[in-house]
Amino acid sequence: MLFFLVLVLQLQGSEPYVDDALLSKIEGKYQLYAKNRFLYLQKTLDELQNASDLQKLNAVNDFFNNVRYATDAKVYNTSDYWATPWEFLGKDMGDCEDYVISKYFALIYLGIDPKKLFFSYVKSIKFNTAHMVLTYFETPRSEPLVLDNYNLKIFPASQRNDLIPIYNFNGESLYKASANGNGKKVDNDKTHKKWDELKLNMKRQKI
Amino acid sequence: MTLFKQIAILLSLFLLIILGTVLTLNFKSANESISQRLYEDAKNTTSSLSLSLGGANGDISMMTTMINANFDSGNYLLISLVDVDDAILYERVLESSYANVPAWFLELITLEAPIASANVSAGWNQVGILHVQSDLSYAYTELYSILKNLLISFSILVIIALGFLNLLLAAVLKPLKEVQKQAEAVIRNEFIIQKHIPSTKEFQDVVLGMNTMVSKVKVMFDIGNKELQQLKELEYIDPATKLKNRKYLIDKFPEYLKIDAVSKDGINMMLALSGITKANEQIGHEEVDALFVNLAKIFTDSVQVYNEAIVARMNGTEFAIFIPNCGEEEAKEIAKNIKSASQNVIEAHKLDIKCTFISIGIFEYNYRQNISKLLSLSDNALTQAKFCNSHIHYERAQNATEVMGKNAWRTIITEALGKDALSFVPYKVVNAGAKKVAHYALSLTLSSGEKRSSYGQFMAPANQLGLSNKVYQNVLNMLFKKTDPKLKNTTCSLRLSYEYLQETQSYHELSLLLKQYGMKLPLRLIIEMPDKFVRKNTKDIQEYKALFEKYKVDMGIYEFIGESQNYQYLQELLPLYIKAEANYFLTQNTQSLSALKLVTDSVGIILIASSVMDKETLEKLEEIDIHTIQGKVSEEITFND
Repeated sequence: MLFFLVLVLQLQGSEPYVDDALLSKIEGKYQLYAKNRFLYLQKTLDELQNASDLQKLNAVNDFFNNVRYATDAKVYNTSDYWATPWEFLGKDMGDCEDYVISKYFALIYLGIDPKKLFFSYVKSIKFNTAHMVLTYFETPRSEPLVLDNYNLKIFPASQRNDLIPIYNFNGESLYKASANGNGKKVDNDKTHKKWDELKLNMKRQKI
Repeated sequence: MTLFKQIAILLSLFLLIILGTVLTLNFKSANESISQRLYEDAKNTTSSLSLSLGGANGDISMMTTMINANFDSGNYLLISLVDVDDAILYERVLESSYANVPAWFLELITLEAPIASANVSAGWNQVGILHVQSDLSYAYTELYSILKNLLISFSILVIIALGFLNLLLAAVLKPLKEVQKQAEAVIRNEFIIQKHIPSTKEFQDVVLGMNTMVSKVKVMFDIGNKELQQLKELEYIDPATKLKNRKYLIDKFPEYLKIDAVSKDGINMMLALSGITKANEQIGHEEVDALFVNLAKIFTDSVQVYNEAIVARMNGTEFAIFIPNCGEEEAKEIAKNIKSASQNVIEAHKLDIKCTFISIGIFEYNYRQNISKLLSLSDNALTQAKFCNSHIHYERAQNATEVMGKNAWRTIITEALGKDALSFVPYKVVNAGAKKVAHYALSLTLSSGEKRSSYGQFMAPANQLGLSNKVYQNVLNMLFKKTDPKLKNTTCSLRLSYEYLQETQSYHELSLLLKQYGMKLPLRLIIEMPDKFVRKNTKDIQEYKALFEKYKVDMGIYEFIGESQNYQYLQELLPLYIKAEANYFLTQNTQSLSALKLVTDSVGIILIASSVMDKETLEKLEEIDIHTIQGKVSEEITFND
C-alpha cells in the first residue's frame, strides 16, 4: 500500500512519469524509438496537467489507442498477462488489459481520483470475446464513461451496446475497504490476484 | 552429581530446547497457514459471491438470499454488503462459539481472520463492496487439534530420543562406570585391577594410572603380610621344637582368663627338665636338642584330644601345657603318661633318668585369675614338683566363694530373658589423639527386682549354665526391635561370642533381624567378631560379610593376637578395626608392629587397644602410634566437643 501511495504521489507530483534511470533502461532494452515514445507520452501528460478530467481522459485514451493490439500469447508467450505501462509502451503492443492498465496509471499521474477508475470485465458482442475496458465514474452512482481500445472514442456506458458489463474492479477501493473493515489489516495487502501481481511488477519497475 | 547425570541433563535440556523450538516453529507455521487459509477462503468467497451478486441487477432481496445461502453453508464470521456510500445494505454476523477450545488457548493464541473484499456491480453500475470474514472458532478448533497432535507426537519423540540418549550415554560412558567402580573399590580399600582397558584416551590413562596405584598398594599389603608372617613365626614359635613359645601363651591367656570365657577352668601344666647341663656334657648339644624335640612330640601327643590345648616352650628347659576344660584326674593321668613316656625317651638317649628327669607342676586355674597369678602359681606347683619324689605336684586355685548358687543364677537369668530385663550400657571407645569418640562399645546389665548385675557378674554363670546363646539372641532382638532411644544417631559396636557365632542358627537369626529391621536401624552398627572365628570359619565369615554389606553394618575383629599364618583374610574382609589387648601391642617388637601397621594401613583398618586401664599405658600406646583405645582411661578423657 505504501508503495502505491508513493507511486500515486510520484505520478501526481512534479516527478516525471518515467524517470531518467528507467528511461535509460527502456532505451537499453527497447531501443531509441521506445524512448521517444515515452518522451512523447511525457510531453502529452505534461500538457494535460491543468486540463479537465474529460480532456485528460480523451488525451490519454487517444495516446494509448495508438499502440498496436496484440495477444498475450504473441507478445508474452502466455495466455493472460497484465503488462506494466513500461512493458506495454516499450514493446508498443499489448492486449485489452494492457491498454486499461497504462491508461489507468497515466490518468492517476494526471491527478484523477483512483476511486473513479474501474477495471471493467465486459463481453464484446461484436467480437464475441472476453474483453476489458477502463471505466470512469464521475460519482459512484453516475453513468461511467468507457475507455476502450476497440472503439477508439470515449462513450457513456449506455451507448456501448456492443459491450455487456460483467464485473467492475478497483483494487485501490478494495484495499481501503479491507483496511477499514472489521477484520485485521492484511499485511500483504492482497485484494485481487492479477492486480497484486501487477503492483509487484510496478514496484520492481518491470520493463 | 555423577558425570553421567550432568551430561544426561545437559543433553536432555539441549534436546528439549531443540524439540521445543521445532514444536513452536511448527505450531507457528500451522498458525500462519491457517490464518492465510482463512483469508484465501474468504477471498474466494468474495470473488464468486460478488460475481453472483452482480447477476441480481441490484435486487436487494435477491442479493440477501444469495448472501444467506453462502453464509449458512460455510464457516463465516461475517458477510457484509455495503453500498458506494459505505452504508450497510445487508450483513450476517455469527456469534462465535469456542466450546471446543479451552480458555487458556484462546488467551494464548491470537488468530487473525482478515476481511476479504470485492466490488459488486449491476451492469455498468456499482452496487458496493462485499466483505467476507471466515469463522475463527473453526480455525481455533482446528489449531487446537493441531497443537494436541503436535504435543503427542513430540512427547513420543522426546521419550524415544531421551531413551536413545540414555542408551548412547551409557555406551559412551561405560568405561567411566568401570573406572568409577574401581575408584569406589579403592575407597573401600579393595584391590581391583581393571583388565579391560578402555580405548578412549582419557579413560585409558585414568584406568592405567589406577591399576598402577592399586598394584602398588597390593604389593605393599603383600610385603607387610609376608613380613608379618615371618615375624610371627619368629615371635611365637620355638625354632628348635616348633612348639609355641612363652609369648604366644601369654598373648593367648586373656581369651581364657576373662569373665565371659566359655572355658571356666582347666589345667596349666609346667614341665621342667632337670640335669640338662650334665646331659649336654654326656651326649652333646645336638643330641640334647633331639631329646627336646622328642619330648615336645610326647607333650603334643598327650593332649591331642584337647582341641584348645596349647603346648609351649617357656624357656630352655621348661615347657607349659595349657589345657582348658581339663579336670584334676585327667590332668594327673596326662602327667603320669608324660612322665613315663619321657623317661623312655630319656633312656633312649642314653641318659640316666635319675640325673635327667622331668618334673611336672599341675595347676588348676579358673577364669578369675590374671596372667601373672596363673604363672606364679603354676611356677610354684613346678617348684613343689621338683622337690617331691613323684616329681608330679598338683595345686588347685582357691575358689572364690560364690555368692549365689547355679540354680539361683539360672532362675534369675531365665526370668530376665523372659522379661527383657537386659539393658545396654555404652562404653566409649575413643581416639585419644583427636579426642573424639570413635564409637560406643555396648555392654549389658541384667535387672532382677532391685538387683542389677553387670555383664561380668551374670555372663560367667550364663556361660556355665549354657544360657549364653540365649542371652545373645535376647540382646540382638533388643537392639533391632526395641532400640534404646539414647543410642539413636550414634555408632555402636556389639560383640558376638565365638560360641554364639559357631551355632548355625545364629546366622539365620541375625539375617532375619537385619532383613526386617536392618535398614530402619537408627544407629550405625558394628558387629564385633573374635579373630579366632574370623580366621577359622572362612565360609561362614564370607556369608556374614555379604550380609553386613547388604545392610550397611560394619564388622570389627576382637581378641586379635596376630596368630594367623596369612593375613589375606584382613584384606578380604576389610573390617573397620581390629581390637587387641593393650599389652599385645606393647609387647610387639618394632618390626612386628610396623609390619602389622603396613598391612592394616594399606587397607584402612584401625587398630584399637582394649583394656587400657591407666594413663601410663595410654602414653605408651600413643608412642607406638596407637591412639584409639577402650578401657577405663577412655571414660576419663575430656573431649573437644
